[in-house]
Amino acid sequence: MLEGILTGLGVATQPINIMMVMVGCFAGTFIGMLPGLGPISAIALMIPITYGFDPSTGLILMAGVYYGAIFGGSTSSILINAPGVAGTVATSFDGYPLAKAGHAGKALAIAAYSSFSGGTIAAIFLLVAAPALARVSLSFQSTDYFALMVLGLTAVAAFAGKGNLVKALLMTILGLMLSTVGTDQAQGVPRFTLGMLDLIDGISFLLLAMATFALSEALMAVLRPKSAADQAKELEAQKNLGSMKLSKEELKEMAPVVGRSSVLGFFIGVLPGAGATIASFLAYGVEQRLAGPIKGKQFGKGSIRGLAAPETANNAACSGSFVPLLTLGIPGSGTTAIMLGALLSYGIQPGPRLFVDNPEVFWSVIISMYIGNIVLLVLNLPLIPYIARVLALPSAVLVPYIIFFSLIGVYFVSFNTFDIHLMVIFAVAALVLRLLDFPMAPMLLGFILGGMMEENLRRALIISDQSWSFLWERPLTASILAIAILILFVPILTPYIARMKDKVYDKAGEGG
Amino acid sequence: MSRDRVGALLLLVFFVVYGYLSTKITLLPFQLNSAFHARTAPQFLTAAGIVLALFLLFKPSDLRPMDTSGMTFKRVSMLCGLMIFYGLTVRSLGFLASTMIFLAGGFWVMGERRWIVLIGASVPIVVGFWLLMTQALDVFVAPFPAFLG
Repeated sequence: MLEGILTGLGVATQPINIMMVMVGCFAGTFIGMLPGLGPISAIALMIPITYGFDPSTGLILMAGVYYGAIFGGSTSSILINAPGVAGTVATSFDGYPLAKAGHAGKALAIAAYSSFSGGTIAAIFLLVAAPALARVSLSFQSTDYFALMVLGLTAVAAFAGKGNLVKALLMTILGLMLSTVGTDQAQGVPRFTLGMLDLIDGISFLLLAMATFALSEALMAVLRPKSAADQAKELEAQKNLGSMKLSKEELKEMAPVVGRSSVLGFFIGVLPGAGATIASFLAYGVEQRLAGPIKGKQFGKGSIRGLAAPETANNAACSGSFVPLLTLGIPGSGTTAIMLGALLSYGIQPGPRLFVDNPEVFWSVIISMYIGNIVLLVLNLPLIPYIARVLALPSAVLVPYIIFFSLIGVYFVSFNTFDIHLMVIFAVAALVLRLLDFPMAPMLLGFILGGMMEENLRRALIISDQSWSFLWERPLTASILAIAILILFVPILTPYIARMKDKVYDKAGEGG
Repeated sequence: MSRDRVGALLLLVFFVVYGYLSTKITLLPFQLNSAFHARTAPQFLTAAGIVLALFLLFKPSDLRPMDTSGMTFKRVSMLCGLMIFYGLTVRSLGFLASTMIFLAGGFWVMGERRWIVLIGASVPIVVGFWLLMTQALDVFVAPFPAFLG
């Protein structure tokens, strides 16, 4: 293994490859910032450019683009609440409130440090444990994936509900329902398309995310204009907009969050199909639970922990997703699927023999992840004060720009004007639901996971001969489901337990 | 009516319509006998949704109605109208003209009246963005109306 690592180090530190990491990170960050162009599009754009390259060099460039695009996506999530990819939705929960409070520079810096730490820790894991983890990930079956997704949904519903679990669950169901629109994957029948061809492929994630987050947020800002006092306060806050200063206490607060979220993110990322989205939501939920009642209340209002956790986890999961790709030849996400295509086009067959047949490719990609993370930090930190100034634009100009970039981001994917009109409908519906205090995050996660949940449940039923007993007979599935049930019932039972405790104290007080 | 109840009622209507439409999903006779078919998930979701919506509707809650004072519904409606206009014209007028109109219209709706801003913040951005997409990223975007080729 040491020989392989040294070979990889030799290849990754060649001047051409270091240059490729830099170009990749920079191009990826820039493309990722544009709503609608996530890591998949960014890497797809690179494929024709890399055809003439050596396989290691081509893959290093694509890995750099991947990291850059994820970081760029976080930037648009934080600054304008426009998560271009599912993995950065959780970033916007606390990143955007922090930016709105005049700490855009700080929020971007936290995102950069967290991404760097998550990516680096995960790359170390990848280096040490990739082959062993690949075997573990293979032991996960459809039933376990289904249970994992139920866990993700309940965690978000329980934590995003802010005291109103029923509303969060209703929104989760709404998201799951929206995911059923389009052609049923298994039986090929159209569902809820209302006879419209435009809906035959379903509703795209990007469309829903842009409409319910970026557009509805922009419309909400217009609907509730700020008072003169608020405007003056905002103007004052904008003086520190580009400041990236983090106090010692804040760094101390971040450190354990980053450690935990890196581990969680990496292991979730290793599972094919789970990826950065579930990792970021779970990390957010776990940290909110661990933060305790006082710090936990800051989540969703600009909590540093709430920003650091998903940012760390999604980057760690990106590294993790390379494990099934490089060791088994199974792409764990859409992005790694494109990379698989690129590997095959170089004549390289990813799988257990990749270590043996092409060790220089395997190890150089892993080593370049370290370098990529460093480059990302070095490139982006100096740019943060300038990027943050976007928020200093007057709202009369900023709001139409946000609307334009959201619309065009979706339109440029499909070139279908129906999508623009559908976005308006969703944005208005989201605005009404926001006014009625219904949380958007559970809806979006329900939508993201809905298709995968249904597919895994269906597959599990076929494997178990149409019997639902797999839910309690398989220990791993049952354990994950038990945790999900526990998470769901803890917020319901907590007030009752607290009330009972108060009664006991009162009685003891009266007695004593 | 309180916010919770208005929301619950709206969602209940949506769930009922969704449930009704789920009965219209076409299934072949042999598919009806399987434990899980195209209607299973929608019908389970409908049942769960209706139960939860009814629970929220009838559970005791804060009865204060929503405060809509100071909200600028007219401006929001105008922006929505502009978005619909953009969807209708981005092909027929071409990307450049329709986007310039959309952005300048958006600035105007938001209260900007200076011509220099209306034009200066829309024309260069639209042209620059179009050049970036077509020249740097190789994404073809028709700049002019269809009849101009």
